[in-house]
Amino acid sequence: MFILIQAVLSLLVILLVVVMLREQSGKEQYQVSVIVENSDDNQWSAFKYGLKMAAEDRGAEMFMVSTGAVLTPEEEKKLIEQEVKNGADAVIAEPVPGTDPAKLLKEVQGKISVMLVGGELPKSEKRRGFPVVRADDYAMGQALAEELLKDYDGKLNGKSLGMIGGRRDSQSIRNREEGFTETLKETGVEVLWSGMKNPEENIKAFLESQPEVDFVIAFDDDSLTAAGECGEANNLHGALVYGIGNSTEAVYYLDVGTAECVVVSDAFYAGYQSLTGLMNGMENSFRNYEEPQISYTVMRRENLFSKENQDILFTMSQ
Amino acid sequence: MKNKYFRQLKKMKPKEIQTTIMLASSVVSISIMLILGVVLYLRFSNSARAETINSTQKLMEQTGENLEEYLMSMRQISDAVYYNVVKENDFEKNKQDIQSGMNLLYEANKEKLRSIAIYNNYGSLMAAEPVASQKEDPDVTSQDWYQKAMEEMENMHFSTPHIQNLFNDTTHRYYWVVSLSRVVELTDQGVPQAGVLLVDMDFSSISRMMKQINEVNNGQYYYLCDSSGEIVYHPRQIQISDGIYEENSKRAATYKDGVYDEAFQGENRKVVVNTISYTGWKLVGVIPYSTFNHGMVNLRYFAVMMILLMTMMLVVINRVVSLRISSPILKLNQSVRKYEAGEKPEIYIGGSQEIRHLGYFIQKSYEQIDELMKEIVLEQNERRKSELDALQGQIHPHFLYNTLESITWMIEGERNDEAVFMISQLARLFRISLSKGRTVISVKDELQHAQSYMNIQKVRYKNSFSVTFDVEEELYSYCTVKLILQPILENAINYGVGNMEDGGEIRITGRREGDLIVLAVSDNGLGMSEEEVALVLTDSNRIHKHGSGVGLVNVNSRIQILFGKEYGLVVESEPDEGTRVSIHIPAVPYTEENRRILEMGHMMSREEIVDRKVQGQSNEKG
Repeated sequence: MFILIQAVLSLLVILLVVVMLREQSGKEQYQVSVIVENSDDNQWSAFKYGLKMAAEDRGAEMFMVSTGAVLTPEEEKKLIEQEVKNGADAVIAEPVPGTDPAKLLKEVQGKISVMLVGGELPKSEKRRGFPVVRADDYAMGQALAEELLKDYDGKLNGKSLGMIGGRRDSQSIRNREEGFTETLKETGVEVLWSGMKNPEENIKAFLESQPEVDFVIAFDDDSLTAAGECGEANNLHGALVYGIGNSTEAVYYLDVGTAECVVVSDAFYAGYQSLTGLMNGMENSFRNYEEPQISYTVMRRENLFSKENQDILFTMSQ
Repeated sequence: MKNKYFRQLKKMKPKEIQTTIMLASSVVSISIMLILGVVLYLRFSNSARAETINSTQKLMEQTGENLEEYLMSMRQISDAVYYNVVKENDFEKNKQDIQSGMNLLYEANKEKLRSIAIYNNYGSLMAAEPVASQKEDPDVTSQDWYQKAMEEMENMHFSTPHIQNLFNDTTHRYYWVVSLSRVVELTDQGVPQAGVLLVDMDFSSISRMMKQINEVNNGQYYYLCDSSGEIVYHPRQIQISDGIYEENSKRAATYKDGVYDEAFQGENRKVVVNTISYTGWKLVGVIPYSTFNHGMVNLRYFAVMMILLMTMMLVVINRVVSLRISSPILKLNQSVRKYEAGEKPEIYIGGSQEIRHLGYFIQKSYEQIDELMKEIVLEQNERRKSELDALQGQIHPHFLYNTLESITWMIEGERNDEAVFMISQLARLFRISLSKGRTVISVKDELQHAQSYMNIQKVRYKNSFSVTFDVEEELYSYCTVKLILQPILENAINYGVGNMEDGGEIRITGRREGDLIVLAVSDNGLGMSEEEVALVLTDSNRIHKHGSGVGLVNVNSRIQILFGKEYGLVVESEPDEGTRVSIHIPAVPYTEENRRILEMGHMMSREEIVDRKVQGQSNEKG
């Protein structure tokens, strides 16, 4: 009996020592690597800030993997593998154009937890539990078109426009374009030209070489800032710029009057939710994961410095 | 159900003294330790809490002072611009002086400032430092800082942080500033007019200060809000504006300086509030209760560890102590058990004084028991032997033979009457001898028996001695042991008067002396020396030359078996004078019940005998 009591007590002491040592060595922080195309670009500022804040709130370690202006699917896969090797617990990745998000997820998910940022899924794959955070690109395109319509009271007949966007194979850009053109279908506006340009191509030169239009519609941040720059230099033949953007540059062109309207997605929220969603999935399960609604804001010169927009600017300025 | 638990509890009852001592002392010591541990832990955690709150307050005071100092310096800049630069100069005539004065002040405080600007009452820019191109139409008059200054002209106004919307920045950047605005009197073209002096402070200076104190990542944080609860700085500023996170800043703005307890979103927390002068801003420190626990976790582990180790130690100590206390008792118990098992061990004597005493006592008791057992066995043997002897004495063949021969002679000599007398005496003798197998008879019967015996003997001895019976009649109805007079009479004849030619005399007396009945047989025969007297009652192996062979020893022991050691025979003798043998027996009235009790061999205690006597006496009287 005596030996039994002593044995039990010693066992408890040993158990406690183990627990104490574990506690002292600290809870292991999750290491999360983030792989997005052109990671140093200003358009990611708010997204990165959101990631950073979420990492602070959740006690995770977040690394931005430095990437070039163009990231191929192969390069992305290699980068993910490299991050796995480097000891990352999870990856937040943007499925670059040309990647099938579902396939990418299947390939990587066994090795590591993944959260996808953006990327359209095939209809069959749309289901609960698919770890993705993305803006509603189609709705943003629609909103842009509606702003244009509002500015002219729906009378766009006889007006012309040129469209410029990022990579042609980007599903996100295609959705924005679709949302925009669908809305303006019956308005009689003429699309004079449309150019989908890869980042390494000179967008400014392309814009300047295009025929004169009433509106230049930019579907991504790069195109919008390029159009703004051209407009500021009076190289757009007086065309008004409408666009979807995510950087202070884009807002600057709106501020100085080069751009008429900028639709901004809540990239901070997207960044925050991608990391918290990932952490929740890792701690519990992705089975009940529900895609968060990422809102967008229509910025006009008049409301540029409203309280809400100042907060958006704040996140972009980080 | 209850019974079941009760039974189980009963089963659990410790069986050994060591277990009991160990269990009891363990329970007591461990409970004391637990109580002590909990009390100490509570006390320590309370003081740790107070310490945390105290240090938070100190940190906040320090930060508050820094903030005040910073804001003060901004006011000083504003004052300097106003009183040293603007007030003394005309904007048209001394434009250069104003610009250089402002430049001097800006350069000296560059790291804290974003810009200094002066606007007239139409919102037109009069002067700015650093010199920058103004935005196309910043609409200054509708901006918050301008309006506030105009609303209360006598005061300085600190705005909440906002994006500066005044100048073009070629780097496409937007700056967060806190605006200090005031109405100033400026002179333009010799005409005095009202204007607004704006000092835009870089918000990064304030946020840096706040970030510094927010670095500790244990759940505790600090934020800054204005008097209406609008957030000025919060570590989760954007999360709050995005609706991801909420803050109780509206409530905190209503608090005066001090420490408050509040429950916000299901979490209990301590809120420390410190007001920043000039601005009315509140510096709020939030300590969720979980932060206190966070620091206490290690302490809890430590406390539990200490308790476990102490318990281990106590169990060992308790075991040693209980072993020490119980081991002598266990040893004693073991030797007693061995004794019970039939062995003859040495009873253990050791340990503390009480246990030693117990050991001694048990040992002594066992020794006494042994002795008593031996005595009982001896007595039983003696009893059986004497009863056998008595039986033998009853039908002594020699005596019978002699008597029958005497009777034969009498019949042959036609002395029929004598023969009849002899036979009748013999018959009476036997009747009383047998007495239906009883051991206890009345004194009367015993006397009758003695008389018959003496009558026969007298015939045999041809009346060579005389016999006198002198017994009080009241004694007749008392108990006596059967056939105790006959052996004494036999001895009196054989050793006393039997060999005397003439004048032999045997006297049988019976008296009551208090509680005693004394029956005595005296003769005037040869008598005995003192040594012989001493041997009469002790030497049971004495060879009897004559008589029935039943000695006085036998009679004595029979009396003592039945009535107790204090009763028996007393022999007094003088050589040539005679012998007196007196029988001492208790005066127990002869009733059926008393007889039965005596015969069953239950020795009556003295008190019982006395009781019986008293009973008898009252019966007699009745």
